Amino acid sequence: MRHAARIFRAEALKQHRRVFGSKLVVFSMLIWPLLTLAQSYYTLRPLAATPGIAERWPLAADPERLLAFLATGALGFTFFFSLVQSAWHFTFERQTGTLELLFLSPANRLVVVVANGFGALVQNVWLFACFAVAGFTLFDVARVAHLGMYAVVFLALLVPAVAWGALLNSLLIFSRDAAFLYTLLDDPMWFAAGVRLPTFALPGWLRAAGSVLPLTGSLVVVRGALLDGRGVGELAGELAALAVLSAVLLLTAVAALRLGEARARRTGQLGLF
Amino acid sequence: MIETVHLRKEFGTKVAVHDLNLTVPLGRVTGLLGLNGAGKTTTIKILATLLRQTSGTVSVGGLDPVRQPRAVRRRINLIAGGERMVYARMTGRENLWYFGQLYDVPGRVLRPRVAELLDLVGLAEAADTRVERYSRGMAQRLSIARGLVNDPDYLLLDEPTLGLDAPIARDLRRVVAALAERGKGVLLTSHYLAEVEQLCAHVYVIGDGRHLAEGTPAELVAQSGCHRTVRVAVVELTPRVEAAARAFAPAVRIAPGGVVELSGPGDVAGALTSTIIEAGGALKGLEIAEPTLEDAILALNDRPAAVIA
Ligand SMILES: Nc1ncnc2c1ncn2[C@@H]1O[C@H](COP(=O)(O)OP(=O)(O)OP(=O)(O)O)[C@@H](O)[C@H]1O
Ligand SMILES: [Mg+2]
Repeated sequence: MRHAARIFRAEALKQHRRVFGSKLVVFSMLIWPLLTLAQSYYTLRPLAATPGIAERWPLAADPERLLAFLATGALGFTFFFSLVQSAWHFTFERQTGTLELLFLSPANRLVVVVANGFGALVQNVWLFACFAVAGFTLFDVARVAHLGMYAVVFLALLVPAVAWGALLNSLLIFSRDAAFLYTLLDDPMWFAAGVRLPTFALPGWLRAAGSVLPLTGSLVVVRGALLDGRGVGELAGELAALAVLSAVLLLTAVAALRLGEARARRTGQLGLF
Repeated sequence: MIETVHLRKEFGTKVAVHDLNLTVPLGRVTGLLGLNGAGKTTTIKILATLLRQTSGTVSVGGLDPVRQPRAVRRRINLIAGGERMVYARMTGRENLWYFGQLYDVPGRVLRPRVAELLDLVGLAEAADTRVERYSRGMAQRLSIARGLVNDPDYLLLDEPTLGLDAPIARDLRRVVAALAERGKGVLLTSHYLAEVEQLCAHVYVIGDGRHLAEGTPAELVAQSGCHRTVRVAVVELTPRVEAAARAFAPAVRIAPGGVVELSGPGDVAGALTSTIIEAGGALKGLEIAEPTLEDAILALNDRPAAVIA
Protein backbone atom coordinates (compact mmCIF):
# COMPACT_ATOMS: atom_id res chain seq x y z
CA MET A 1 0.00 0.00 0.00
CA ARG A 2 2.73 2.42 0.97
CA HIS A 3 4.67 1.55 -2.13
CA ALA A 4 1.52 2.18 -4.21
CA ALA A 5 1.08 5.58 -2.59
CA ARG A 6 4.65 6.46 -3.47
CA ILE A 7 4.11 5.44 -7.09
CA PHE A 8 1.04 7.69 -7.17
CA ARG A 9 3.15 10.60 -5.94
CA ALA A 10 5.90 9.86 -8.43
CA GLU A 11 3.50 9.66 -11.38
CA ALA A 12 1.73 12.82 -10.19
CA LEU A 13 5.02 14.72 -10.37
CA LYS A 14 5.84 13.25 -13.77
CA GLN A 15 2.43 14.21 -15.14
CA HIS A 16 2.68 17.62 -13.55
CA ARG A 17 5.92 18.31 -15.37
CA ARG A 18 4.43 16.99 -18.59
CA VAL A 19 1.08 18.80 -18.42
CA PHE A 20 2.45 22.08 -17.14
CA GLY A 21 5.57 21.90 -19.25
CA SER A 22 4.05 24.51 -21.54
CA LYS A 23 2.20 27.67 -20.68
CA LEU A 24 -0.41 26.94 -23.32
CA VAL A 25 -1.86 24.32 -21.05
CA VAL A 26 -4.73 26.60 -19.96
CA PHE A 27 -5.97 26.41 -23.51
CA SER A 28 -6.47 22.69 -23.39
CA MET A 29 -7.63 22.79 -19.78
CA LEU A 30 -10.22 25.51 -20.02
CA ILE A 31 -10.46 27.53 -23.21
CA TRP A 32 -10.80 24.55 -25.50
CA PRO A 33 -13.54 22.79 -23.51
CA LEU A 34 -15.39 26.10 -23.17
CA LEU A 35 -15.18 26.78 -26.89
CA THR A 36 -16.51 23.37 -27.79
CA LEU A 37 -19.25 23.82 -25.20
CA ALA A 38 -20.21 27.16 -26.72
CA GLN A 39 -20.16 25.64 -30.16
CA SER A 40 -22.55 22.84 -29.25
CA TYR A 41 -24.80 25.21 -27.34
CA TYR A 42 -25.21 27.67 -30.15
CA THR A 43 -25.65 24.83 -32.63
CA LEU A 44 -28.42 23.22 -30.62
CA ARG A 45 -30.19 26.28 -29.19
CA PRO A 46 -32.38 26.87 -32.26
CA LEU A 47 -33.98 23.52 -31.43
CA ALA A 48 -35.96 25.28 -28.70
CA ALA A 49 -38.02 26.96 -31.41
CA THR A 50 -38.80 23.65 -33.13
CA PRO A 51 -42.52 22.84 -32.79
CA GLY A 52 -43.14 19.76 -30.70
CA ILE A 53 -39.62 19.65 -29.24
CA ALA A 54 -41.02 19.72 -25.69
CA GLU A 55 -42.52 16.26 -26.25
CA ARG A 56 -39.55 14.70 -28.01
CA TRP A 57 -36.68 16.17 -25.97
CA PRO A 58 -38.15 18.28 -23.13
CA LEU A 59 -34.78 19.53 -21.97
CA ALA A 60 -34.01 21.20 -25.30
CA ALA A 61 -37.03 23.47 -24.89
CA ASP A 62 -35.31 25.24 -22.00
CA PRO A 63 -32.00 26.92 -23.07
CA GLU A 64 -30.62 26.94 -19.52
CA ARG A 65 -31.23 23.24 -19.02
CA LEU A 66 -29.81 22.55 -22.47
CA LEU A 67 -26.65 24.40 -21.49
CA ALA A 68 -26.43 22.40 -18.27
CA PHE A 69 -26.90 19.20 -20.25
CA LEU A 70 -24.08 20.13 -22.61
CA ALA A 71 -21.86 21.31 -19.75
CA THR A 72 -22.12 17.93 -18.02
CA GLY A 73 -21.29 16.31 -21.34
CA ALA A 74 -18.24 18.50 -21.80
CA LEU A 75 -17.14 17.81 -18.23
CA GLY A 76 -17.41 14.05 -18.70
CA PHE A 77 -15.63 14.24 -22.01
CA THR A 78 -12.79 16.25 -20.46
CA PHE A 79 -12.36 13.53 -17.83
CA PHE A 80 -12.21 10.66 -20.28
CA PHE A 81 -10.34 12.36 -23.06
CA SER A 82 -7.56 13.54 -20.76
CA LEU A 83 -6.86 9.85 -20.23
CA VAL A 84 -6.74 9.17 -23.94
CA GLN A 85 -4.15 11.93 -24.14
CA SER A 86 -2.08 10.67 -21.25
CA ALA A 87 -2.11 7.13 -22.66
CA TRP A 88 -0.94 8.55 -25.96
CA HIS A 89 1.91 10.30 -24.17
CA PHE A 90 2.74 7.09 -22.36
CA THR A 91 3.66 5.53 -25.70
CA PHE A 92 6.36 8.19 -26.18
CA GLU A 93 8.13 6.58 -23.26
CA ARG A 94 8.98 3.76 -25.56
CA GLN A 95 11.04 6.13 -27.72
CA THR A 96 12.73 7.79 -24.79
CA GLY A 97 13.64 4.42 -23.31
CA THR A 98 11.99 5.17 -19.99
CA LEU A 99 9.27 2.60 -20.60
CA GLU A 100 11.86 -0.12 -20.31
CA LEU A 101 13.02 1.43 -17.05
CA LEU A 102 9.52 1.19 -15.62
CA PHE A 103 9.58 -2.51 -16.41
CA LEU A 104 13.07 -2.84 -14.97
CA SER A 105 11.80 -1.57 -11.62
CA PRO A 106 9.95 -3.72 -9.09
CA ALA A 107 6.95 -1.38 -9.17
CA ASN A 108 3.59 -3.06 -9.61
CA ARG A 109 2.61 -2.54 -13.24
CA LEU A 110 -1.10 -2.04 -12.60
CA VAL A 111 -0.35 0.57 -9.95
CA VAL A 112 1.92 2.38 -12.40
CA VAL A 113 -0.70 2.57 -15.16
CA VAL A 114 -3.47 3.56 -12.73
CA ALA A 115 -1.27 6.16 -11.07
CA ASN A 116 -0.21 7.52 -14.43
CA GLY A 117 -3.83 8.01 -15.51
CA PHE A 118 -4.90 9.39 -12.15
CA GLY A 119 -2.07 11.92 -12.14
CA ALA A 120 -2.97 13.15 -15.59
CA LEU A 121 -6.69 13.22 -14.87
CA VAL A 122 -6.60 15.25 -11.69
CA GLN A 123 -4.25 17.84 -13.14
CA ASN A 124 -6.08 18.14 -16.41
CA VAL A 125 -9.65 18.42 -15.21
CA TRP A 126 -9.57 20.42 -11.99
CA LEU A 127 -9.81 23.79 -13.70
CA PHE A 128 -12.73 22.95 -15.95
CA ALA A 129 -14.42 21.01 -13.14
CA CYS A 130 -14.21 24.05 -10.82
CA PHE A 131 -15.53 26.18 -13.62
CA ALA A 132 -18.44 23.84 -14.22
CA VAL A 133 -19.32 23.70 -10.52
CA ALA A 134 -19.16 27.50 -10.32
CA GLY A 135 -21.37 27.76 -13.40
CA PHE A 136 -23.95 25.37 -11.99
CA THR A 137 -24.07 27.25 -8.71
CA LEU A 138 -24.28 30.62 -10.39
CA PHE A 139 -27.07 29.74 -12.79
CA ASP A 140 -28.74 27.59 -10.20
CA VAL A 141 -29.68 24.95 -12.74
CA ALA A 142 -28.76 21.90 -10.65
CA ARG A 143 -31.60 19.89 -9.13
CA VAL A 144 -29.98 17.49 -6.71
CA ALA A 145 -31.73 15.14 -4.31
CA HIS A 146 -29.25 15.93 -1.54
CA LEU A 147 -25.69 17.19 -1.18
CA GLY A 148 -24.28 13.67 -0.99
CA MET A 149 -25.18 13.28 -4.67
CA TYR A 150 -22.28 15.59 -5.55
CA ALA A 151 -19.94 12.95 -4.15
CA VAL A 152 -21.74 10.28 -6.18
CA VAL A 153 -21.36 12.40 -9.31
CA PHE A 154 -17.67 12.88 -8.63
CA LEU A 155 -17.07 9.18 -8.08
CA ALA A 156 -19.17 8.23 -11.10
CA LEU A 157 -16.80 10.31 -13.20
CA LEU A 158 -13.55 9.48 -11.45
CA VAL A 159 -13.66 5.72 -10.93
CA PRO A 160 -14.67 4.66 -14.46
CA ALA A 161 -12.32 7.27 -15.93
CA VAL A 162 -9.34 5.93 -14.00
CA ALA A 163 -10.21 2.35 -14.93
CA TRP A 164 -10.53 3.45 -18.55
CA GLY A 165 -7.17 5.22 -18.37
CA ALA A 166 -5.51 2.15 -16.89
CA LEU A 167 -6.83 0.01 -19.74
CA LEU A 168 -5.75 2.46 -22.43
CA ASN A 169 -2.29 2.72 -20.88
CA SER A 170 -1.97 -1.05 -20.70
CA LEU A 171 -3.01 -1.52 -24.31
CA LEU A 172 -0.86 1.27 -25.67
CA ILE A 173 2.29 0.21 -23.84
CA PHE A 174 2.41 -2.86 -25.99
CA SER A 175 1.05 -1.48 -29.20
CA ARG A 176 2.54 0.77 -31.80
CA ASP A 177 -0.76 1.92 -33.22
CA ALA A 178 -1.37 4.59 -30.65
CA ALA A 179 -2.16 7.30 -33.16
CA PHE A 180 -5.00 5.22 -34.55
CA LEU A 181 -6.61 4.78 -31.15
CA TYR A 182 -6.27 8.49 -30.50
CA THR A 183 -8.28 9.35 -33.60
CA LEU A 184 -10.78 6.61 -32.92
CA LEU A 185 -11.51 7.93 -29.45
CA ASP A 186 -11.79 11.62 -30.18
CA ASP A 187 -14.81 12.56 -32.32
CA PRO A 188 -16.47 9.15 -32.21
CA MET A 189 -16.43 9.25 -28.43
CA TRP A 190 -18.17 12.63 -28.46
CA PHE A 191 -20.80 11.13 -30.60
CA ALA A 192 -21.39 7.64 -29.29
CA ALA A 193 -21.32 8.49 -25.60
CA GLY A 194 -24.06 11.11 -25.91
CA VAL A 195 -21.88 14.07 -24.99
CA ARG A 196 -24.00 16.61 -26.90
CA LEU A 197 -27.02 14.62 -27.95
CA PRO A 198 -29.11 12.33 -25.78
CA THR A 199 -28.38 8.71 -26.63
CA PHE A 200 -32.04 8.11 -27.50
CA ALA A 201 -31.49 10.33 -30.53
CA LEU A 202 -28.79 8.01 -31.85
CA PRO A 203 -29.34 5.02 -34.15
CA GLY A 204 -29.34 1.61 -32.46
CA TRP A 205 -25.96 0.46 -33.71
CA LEU A 206 -24.27 3.58 -32.45
CA ARG A 207 -25.99 3.28 -29.09
CA ALA A 208 -24.71 -0.28 -28.86
CA ALA A 209 -21.18 0.87 -29.62
CA GLY A 210 -21.50 3.68 -27.11
CA SER A 211 -22.67 1.40 -24.34
CA VAL A 212 -19.21 -0.15 -23.97
CA LEU A 213 -17.70 3.29 -23.38
CA PRO A 214 -17.69 4.05 -19.67
CA LEU A 215 -18.26 7.72 -20.48
CA THR A 216 -21.80 6.84 -21.59
CA GLY A 217 -22.70 5.34 -18.23
CA SER A 218 -20.96 8.13 -16.33
CA LEU A 219 -22.97 10.76 -18.17
CA VAL A 220 -26.25 8.97 -17.43
CA VAL A 221 -25.48 9.06 -13.72
CA VAL A 222 -24.12 12.62 -13.73
CA ARG A 223 -27.12 13.99 -15.60
CA GLY A 224 -29.60 11.95 -13.61
CA ALA A 225 -28.17 13.26 -10.38
CA LEU A 226 -27.52 16.87 -11.37
CA LEU A 227 -30.33 17.65 -13.81
CA ASP A 228 -33.17 15.38 -12.78
CA GLY A 229 -32.61 15.25 -9.03
CA ARG A 230 -32.49 11.48 -8.93
CA GLY A 231 -31.14 9.83 -5.76
CA VAL A 232 -28.89 6.82 -5.27
CA GLY A 233 -31.90 4.50 -5.09
CA GLU A 234 -33.23 5.62 -8.46
CA LEU A 235 -29.80 5.39 -10.02
CA ALA A 236 -28.91 2.04 -8.44
CA GLY A 237 -29.13 0.14 -11.72
CA GLU A 238 -26.95 2.63 -13.59
CA LEU A 239 -24.46 2.81 -10.74
CA ALA A 240 -24.18 -0.97 -10.56
CA ALA A 241 -23.65 -1.19 -14.32
CA LEU A 242 -20.97 1.46 -14.08
CA ALA A 243 -19.24 -0.39 -11.24
CA VAL A 244 -19.29 -3.64 -13.19
CA LEU A 245 -17.95 -1.92 -16.31
CA SER A 246 -15.14 -0.31 -14.29
CA ALA A 247 -14.21 -3.67 -12.78
CA VAL A 248 -14.19 -5.26 -16.23
CA LEU A 249 -11.96 -2.49 -17.56
CA LEU A 250 -9.52 -2.93 -14.69
CA LEU A 251 -9.44 -6.71 -15.05
CA THR A 252 -8.85 -6.36 -18.76
CA ALA A 253 -6.01 -3.96 -17.96
CA VAL A 254 -4.47 -6.54 -15.63
CA ALA A 255 -4.73 -9.22 -18.31
CA ALA A 256 -3.31 -6.90 -20.99
CA LEU A 257 -0.36 -6.06 -18.77
CA ARG A 258 0.35 -9.70 -17.96
CA LEU A 259 0.11 -10.87 -21.56
CA GLY A 260 1.89 -7.81 -22.89
CA GLU A 261 4.83 -8.11 -20.52
CA ALA A 262 5.16 -11.84 -21.09
CA ARG A 263 5.17 -11.24 -24.82
CA ALA A 264 7.64 -8.38 -24.54
CA ARG A 265 9.98 -10.59 -22.52
CA ARG A 266 9.79 -13.16 -25.28
CA THR A 267 10.19 -10.89 -28.29
CA GLY A 268 12.11 -7.99 -26.78
CA GLN A 269 9.63 -5.54 -28.30
CA LEU A 270 9.68 -3.11 -25.37
CA GLY A 271 13.08 -1.99 -26.52
CA LEU A 272 12.12 -1.71 -30.17
CA PHE A 273 10.61 1.34 -31.73
CA MET B 1 26.65 -14.19 -7.51
CA ILE B 2 24.89 -14.26 -10.85
CA GLU B 3 25.10 -17.55 -12.64
CA THR B 4 23.71 -18.70 -15.96
CA VAL B 5 23.69 -22.32 -17.01
CA HIS B 6 23.14 -23.35 -20.64
CA LEU B 7 21.49 -20.02 -21.32
CA ARG B 8 19.77 -19.82 -24.67
CA LYS B 9 17.66 -17.11 -26.24
CA GLU B 10 15.84 -17.33 -29.54
CA PHE B 11 13.99 -14.52 -31.30
CA GLY B 12 11.85 -16.44 -33.73
CA THR B 13 14.34 -18.40 -35.78
CA LYS B 14 17.28 -16.18 -34.80
CA VAL B 15 19.36 -17.65 -31.97
CA ALA B 16 20.86 -14.66 -30.16
CA VAL B 17 22.45 -16.60 -27.30
CA HIS B 18 23.65 -20.21 -27.49
CA ASP B 19 24.37 -22.28 -24.42
CA LEU B 20 26.07 -19.60 -22.38
CA ASN B 21 27.54 -20.34 -18.94
CA LEU B 22 28.43 -17.18 -17.14
CA THR B 23 29.37 -16.29 -13.58
CA VAL B 24 29.34 -12.77 -12.17
CA PRO B 25 30.63 -12.84 -8.60
CA LEU B 26 30.25 -10.06 -6.05
CA GLY B 27 33.20 -7.78 -5.50
CA ARG B 28 34.64 -7.60 -8.97
CA VAL B 29 33.99 -6.40 -12.49
CA THR B 30 33.32 -9.11 -15.01
CA GLY B 31 33.57 -8.25 -18.69
CA LEU B 32 31.40 -9.48 -21.53
CA LEU B 33 32.96 -8.86 -24.91
CA GLY B 34 32.00 -9.53 -28.47
CA LEU B 35 31.54 -7.82 -31.78
CA ASN B 36 28.27 -6.13 -32.77
CA GLY B 37 25.39 -8.55 -32.61
CA ALA B 38 27.29 -11.04 -30.50
CA GLY B 39 24.47 -11.25 -27.97
CA LYS B 40 25.77 -9.06 -25.15
CA THR B 41 22.72 -6.84 -24.75
CA THR B 42 20.43 -9.84 -25.02
CA THR B 43 22.31 -11.59 -22.22
CA ILE B 44 22.22 -8.50 -20.02
CA LYS B 45 18.50 -8.01 -20.59
CA ILE B 46 17.83 -11.59 -19.57
CA LEU B 47 19.71 -11.02 -16.32
CA ALA B 48 17.75 -7.80 -15.84
CA THR B 49 14.37 -9.64 -16.24
CA LEU B 50 13.55 -7.60 -19.35
CA LEU B 51 13.83 -10.70 -21.49
CA ARG B 52 13.06 -14.27 -20.64
CA GLN B 53 15.42 -16.98 -21.77
CA THR B 54 14.18 -19.69 -24.14
CA SER B 55 15.97 -22.33 -22.11
CA GLY B 56 18.66 -22.67 -19.48
CA THR B 57 18.65 -21.28 -15.97
CA VAL B 58 19.61 -18.00 -14.39
CA SER B 59 20.24 -17.33 -10.74
CA VAL B 60 20.73 -13.84 -9.35
CA GLY B 61 21.99 -14.12 -5.80
CA GLY B 62 20.05 -17.36 -5.47
CA LEU B 63 16.84 -15.89 -6.95
CA ASP B 64 15.26 -17.05 -10.19
CA PRO B 65 14.31 -14.09 -12.45
CA VAL B 66 11.56 -16.16 -14.06
CA ARG B 67 9.85 -17.11 -10.82
CA GLN B 68 10.81 -14.22 -8.55
CA PRO B 69 11.20 -11.29 -10.93
CA ARG B 70 10.28 -8.61 -8.41
CA ALA B 71 12.81 -9.80 -5.85
CA VAL B 72 15.47 -9.84 -8.54
CA ARG B 73 14.53 -6.34 -9.76
CA ARG B 74 15.09 -4.90 -6.28
CA ARG B 75 18.64 -6.22 -6.20
CA ILE B 76 19.84 -5.28 -9.67
CA ASN B 77 19.99 -2.31 -11.93
CA LEU B 78 20.91 -1.74 -15.53
CA ILE B 79 22.71 1.19 -17.07
CA ALA B 80 22.88 1.42 -20.82
CA GLY B 81 24.78 3.98 -22.84
CA GLY B 82 22.97 6.75 -24.62
CA GLU B 83 21.20 9.72 -23.13
CA ARG B 84 17.62 8.65 -23.69
CA MET B 85 16.90 6.94 -20.42
CA VAL B 86 15.68 9.84 -18.28
CA TYR B 87 12.70 12.21 -18.26
CA ALA B 88 13.51 15.42 -20.10
CA ARG B 89 10.87 17.56 -18.43
CA MET B 90 12.01 16.75 -14.91
CA THR B 91 15.16 18.03 -13.25
CA GLY B 92 18.06 15.74 -12.42
CA ARG B 93 17.03 15.59 -8.79
CA GLU B 94 13.39 14.92 -9.67
CA ASN B 95 14.39 12.08 -11.98
CA LEU B 96 16.31 10.36 -9.21
CA TRP B 97 13.53 10.98 -6.73
CA TYR B 98 11.03 9.52 -9.20
CA PHE B 99 12.99 6.31 -9.66
CA GLY B 100 13.59 6.15 -5.92
CA GLN B 101 9.81 5.96 -5.50
CA LEU B 102 9.49 3.18 -8.07
CA TYR B 103 12.13 1.23 -6.14
CA ASP B 104 10.46 2.06 -2.83
CA VAL B 105 13.65 3.45 -1.33
CA PRO B 106 12.63 4.81 2.10
CA GLY B 107 12.42 8.60 2.15
CA ARG B 108 15.00 8.95 4.92
CA VAL B 109 17.53 7.03 2.84
CA LEU B 110 16.55 8.45 -0.53
CA ARG B 111 17.10 12.14 0.16
CA PRO B 112 20.79 11.89 1.12
CA ARG B 113 21.38 9.20 -1.50
CA VAL B 114 20.07 11.40 -4.31
CA ALA B 115 22.38 14.22 -3.21
CA GLU B 116 25.30 11.82 -2.97
CA LEU B 117 24.66 10.35 -6.41
CA LEU B 118 24.32 13.76 -8.03
CA ASP B 119 27.64 14.63 -6.50
CA LEU B 120 29.19 11.37 -7.61
CA VAL B 121 28.33 12.00 -11.26
CA GLY B 122 29.24 15.67 -11.06
CA LEU B 123 25.71 17.03 -11.45
CA ALA B 124 25.35 18.68 -8.06
CA GLU B 125 25.21 22.11 -9.64
CA ALA B 126 22.80 21.10 -12.37
CA ALA B 127 20.62 19.12 -9.97
CA ASP B 128 17.69 21.49 -10.24
CA THR B 129 17.93 22.14 -13.95
CA ARG B 130 15.57 20.36 -16.28
CA VAL B 131 17.17 17.51 -18.16
CA GLU B 132 16.10 18.99 -21.52
CA ARG B 133 18.76 21.65 -20.91
CA TYR B 134 21.46 19.09 -20.18
CA SER B 135 24.19 18.21 -22.63
CA ARG B 136 24.27 14.65 -23.89
CA GLY B 137 27.04 13.73 -21.47
CA MET B 138 25.17 15.24 -18.53
CA ALA B 139 22.03 13.29 -19.35
CA GLN B 140 24.03 10.14 -19.58
CA ARG B 141 25.70 10.77 -16.25
CA LEU B 142 22.28 11.24 -14.76
CA SER B 143 21.29 7.91 -16.21
CA ILE B 144 24.27 6.38 -14.42
CA ALA B 145 23.13 7.89 -11.13
CA ARG B 146 19.67 6.51 -11.87
CA GLY B 147 21.15 3.03 -12.08
CA LEU B 148 22.50 3.35 -8.56
CA VAL B 149 19.40 4.76 -6.92
CA ASN B 150 18.30 1.42 -5.45
CA ASP B 151 21.85 0.62 -4.29
CA PRO B 152 21.82 -2.62 -6.30
CA ASP B 153 23.94 -5.63 -5.39
CA TYR B 154 24.48 -6.31 -9.06
CA LEU B 155 25.02 -3.69 -11.68
CA LEU B 156 24.64 -4.50 -15.36
CA LEU B 157 26.47 -2.01 -17.56
CA ASP B 158 25.77 -2.10 -21.27
CA GLU B 159 28.31 0.20 -22.92
CA PRO B 160 27.97 2.82 -20.19
CA THR B 161 30.68 5.10 -21.55
CA LEU B 162 29.28 5.26 -25.08
CA GLY B 163 29.60 8.86 -26.21
CA LEU B 164 31.15 10.20 -23.01
CA ASP B 165 34.22 12.40 -23.31
CA ALA B 166 37.51 11.07 -22.01
CA PRO B 167 37.66 12.69 -18.55
CA ILE B 168 34.07 11.76 -17.76
CA ALA B 169 34.59 8.21 -18.97
CA ARG B 170 37.65 8.00 -16.74
CA ASP B 171 35.63 9.22 -13.76
CA LEU B 172 33.01 6.62 -14.51
CA ARG B 173 35.65 3.90 -14.59
CA ARG B 174 36.79 5.03 -11.15
CA VAL B 175 33.23 4.83 -9.89
CA VAL B 176 32.79 1.34 -11.31
CA ALA B 177 36.06 0.15 -9.80
CA ALA B 178 35.08 1.62 -6.43
CA LEU B 179 31.67 -0.07 -6.56
CA ALA B 180 33.29 -3.44 -7.13
CA GLU B 181 35.67 -2.78 -4.27
CA ARG B 182 32.69 -2.09 -2.04
CA GLY B 183 31.44 -5.57 -2.84
CA LYS B 184 29.07 -5.10 -5.79
CA GLY B 185 28.99 -7.53 -8.64
CA VAL B 186 29.38 -5.69 -11.94
CA LEU B 187 28.91 -7.03 -15.45
CA LEU B 188 30.33 -4.71 -18.08
CA THR B 189 30.10 -4.70 -21.84
CA SER B 190 32.04 -2.13 -23.74
CA HIS B 191 33.57 -1.60 -27.12
CA TYR B 192 36.43 0.33 -25.48
CA LEU B 193 38.73 -2.55 -24.84
CA ALA B 194 41.28 -0.54 -22.91
CA GLU B 195 38.48 0.13 -20.44
CA VAL B 196 37.74 -3.56 -20.11
CA GLU B 197 41.41 -4.37 -19.74
CA GLN B 198 41.71 -1.86 -16.95
CA LEU B 199 38.57 -2.77 -15.02
CA CYS B 200 37.79 -6.41 -15.50
CA ALA B 201 39.23 -9.20 -13.45
CA HIS B 202 37.58 -11.79 -15.62
CA VAL B 203 36.32 -11.48 -19.18
CA TYR B 204 34.02 -13.60 -21.30
CA VAL B 205 34.28 -13.36 -25.05
CA ILE B 206 31.25 -14.33 -27.11
CA GLY B 207 30.67 -14.37 -30.82
CA ASP B 208 27.34 -15.04 -32.51
CA GLY B 209 25.90 -15.88 -29.12
CA ARG B 210 28.47 -18.57 -28.43
CA HIS B 211 31.12 -18.70 -25.75
CA LEU B 212 34.50 -18.22 -27.42
CA ALA B 213 36.91 -17.79 -24.54
CA GLU B 214 37.26 -16.55 -21.00
CA GLY B 215 39.93 -15.56 -18.54
CA THR B 216 41.81 -12.53 -17.30
CA PRO B 217 42.65 -10.07 -20.05
CA ALA B 218 46.25 -11.37 -20.02
CA GLU B 219 45.11 -14.98 -20.30
CA LEU B 220 42.85 -14.09 -23.19
CA VAL B 221 45.70 -12.49 -25.04
CA ALA B 222 47.81 -15.58 -24.45
CA GLN B 223 44.96 -17.88 -25.55
CA SER B 224 44.25 -15.89 -28.66
CA GLY B 225 47.65 -16.79 -30.07
CA CYS B 226 48.55 -13.15 -30.56
CA HIS B 227 52.21 -12.36 -30.06
CA ARG B 228 54.21 -9.32 -29.29
CA THR B 229 55.50 -7.41 -32.27
CA VAL B 230 59.08 -6.18 -32.57
CA ARG B 231 59.74 -3.23 -34.86
CA VAL B 232 63.29 -2.29 -35.68
CA ALA B 233 63.80 0.94 -37.62
CA VAL B 234 67.07 1.17 -39.54
CA VAL B 235 68.70 4.32 -40.88
CA GLU B 236 69.22 2.85 -44.33
CA LEU B 237 67.68 -0.32 -45.65
CA THR B 238 70.53 -1.89 -47.65
CA PRO B 239 69.96 -5.09 -49.63
CA ARG B 240 72.31 -6.84 -47.21
CA VAL B 241 70.27 -5.84 -44.17
CA GLU B 242 67.10 -6.85 -45.94
CA ALA B 243 68.50 -10.26 -46.87
CA ALA B 244 69.79 -10.86 -43.33
CA ALA B 245 66.42 -9.94 -41.84
CA ARG B 246 64.54 -12.22 -44.23
CA ALA B 247 66.94 -15.01 -43.46
CA PHE B 248 66.37 -14.48 -39.71
CA ALA B 249 62.72 -15.45 -40.01
CA PRO B 250 60.48 -15.92 -43.03
CA ALA B 251 57.65 -14.09 -41.22
CA VAL B 252 59.57 -10.82 -41.15
CA ARG B 253 57.75 -7.93 -42.79
CA ILE B 254 59.65 -5.02 -44.18
CA ALA B 255 57.78 -1.79 -44.30
CA PRO B 256 58.77 1.09 -46.59
CA GLY B 257 60.98 3.57 -44.82
CA GLY B 258 63.10 0.81 -43.36
CA VAL B 259 61.06 -0.74 -40.56
CA VAL B 260 61.65 -4.44 -39.99
CA GLU B 261 58.70 -6.00 -38.21
CA LEU B 262 58.32 -9.42 -36.69
CA SER B 263 55.53 -10.91 -34.56
CA GLY B 264 56.09 -14.16 -32.83
CA PRO B 265 56.24 -16.08 -29.61
CA GLY B 266 59.24 -15.74 -27.32
CA ASP B 267 61.76 -12.94 -27.04
CA VAL B 268 63.13 -12.23 -30.48
CA ALA B 269 63.99 -8.55 -30.10
CA GLY B 270 67.60 -9.09 -29.07
CA ALA B 271 68.40 -11.67 -31.71
CA LEU B 272 66.74 -9.69 -34.50
CA THR B 273 68.57 -6.46 -33.68
CA SER B 274 71.97 -8.19 -33.48
CA THR B 275 71.35 -9.83 -36.84
CA ILE B 276 70.58 -6.46 -38.39
CA ILE B 277 73.61 -4.80 -36.79
CA GLU B 278 75.87 -7.66 -37.91
CA ALA B 279 74.62 -7.11 -41.45
CA GLY B 280 75.84 -3.51 -41.20
CA GLY B 281 72.53 -1.86 -40.41
CA ALA B 282 72.44 1.25 -38.19
CA LEU B 283 69.51 1.35 -35.73
CA LYS B 284 67.18 4.33 -35.60
CA GLY B 285 64.63 2.89 -33.22
CA LEU B 286 63.35 -0.21 -31.51
CA GLU B 287 59.80 -0.82 -30.43
CA ILE B 288 58.29 -3.86 -28.72
CA ALA B 289 54.48 -3.88 -28.82
CA GLU B 290 52.63 -6.26 -26.52
CA PRO B 291 49.44 -7.67 -28.02
CA THR B 292 46.34 -5.93 -26.70
CA LEU B 293 42.97 -7.30 -25.78
CA GLU B 294 41.74 -5.80 -29.02
CA ASP B 295 44.12 -7.95 -31.05
CA ALA B 296 42.98 -10.93 -29.02
CA ILE B 297 39.27 -10.29 -29.58
CA LEU B 298 39.76 -9.89 -33.30
CA ALA B 299 41.83 -13.04 -33.45
CA LEU B 300 39.32 -14.98 -31.35
CA ASN B 301 36.48 -13.94 -33.60
CA ASP B 302 38.34 -15.03 -36.68
CA ARG B 303 38.35 -18.66 -35.80
CA PRO B 304 35.60 -21.14 -34.98
CA ALA B 305 34.88 -21.89 -31.34
CA ALA B 306 36.08 -25.47 -31.59
CA VAL B 307 39.64 -24.45 -32.33
CA ILE B 308 39.87 -22.32 -29.22
CA ALA B 309 38.26 -24.86 -26.90
N1 LIG C 1 14.14 -8.09 -30.09
C1 LIG C 1 14.84 -8.75 -31.01
N2 LIG C 1 14.22 -9.41 -32.00
C2 LIG C 1 14.92 -10.10 -32.91
N3 LIG C 1 16.26 -10.20 -32.95
C3 LIG C 1 16.95 -9.57 -31.99
C4 LIG C 1 16.28 -8.81 -30.98
N4 LIG C 1 17.23 -8.29 -30.17
C5 LIG C 1 18.42 -8.70 -30.65
N5 LIG C 1 18.25 -9.47 -31.74
C6 LIG C 1 19.33 -10.11 -32.51
O1 LIG C 1 20.11 -10.90 -31.63
C7 LIG C 1 21.49 -10.74 -31.91
C8 LIG C 1 22.22 -10.27 -30.68
O2 LIG C 1 21.87 -8.93 -30.44
P1 LIG C 1 22.42 -8.09 -29.21
O3 LIG C 1 21.73 -6.79 -29.20
O4 LIG C 1 22.34 -8.91 -27.98
O5 LIG C 1 23.96 -7.89 -29.62
P2 LIG C 1 25.10 -7.05 -28.92
O6 LIG C 1 26.20 -7.99 -28.63
O7 LIG C 1 24.57 -6.27 -27.78
O8 LIG C 1 25.56 -6.08 -30.08
P3 LIG C 1 26.05 -4.56 -30.05
O9 LIG C 1 27.51 -4.62 -29.76
O10 LIG C 1 25.79 -4.09 -31.44
O11 LIG C 1 25.28 -3.84 -29.02
C9 LIG C 1 21.58 -9.81 -33.10
O12 LIG C 1 21.73 -10.58 -34.26
C10 LIG C 1 20.26 -9.09 -33.12
O13 LIG C 1 19.88 -8.77 -34.43
MG1 LIG D 1 24.36 -4.21 -27.40
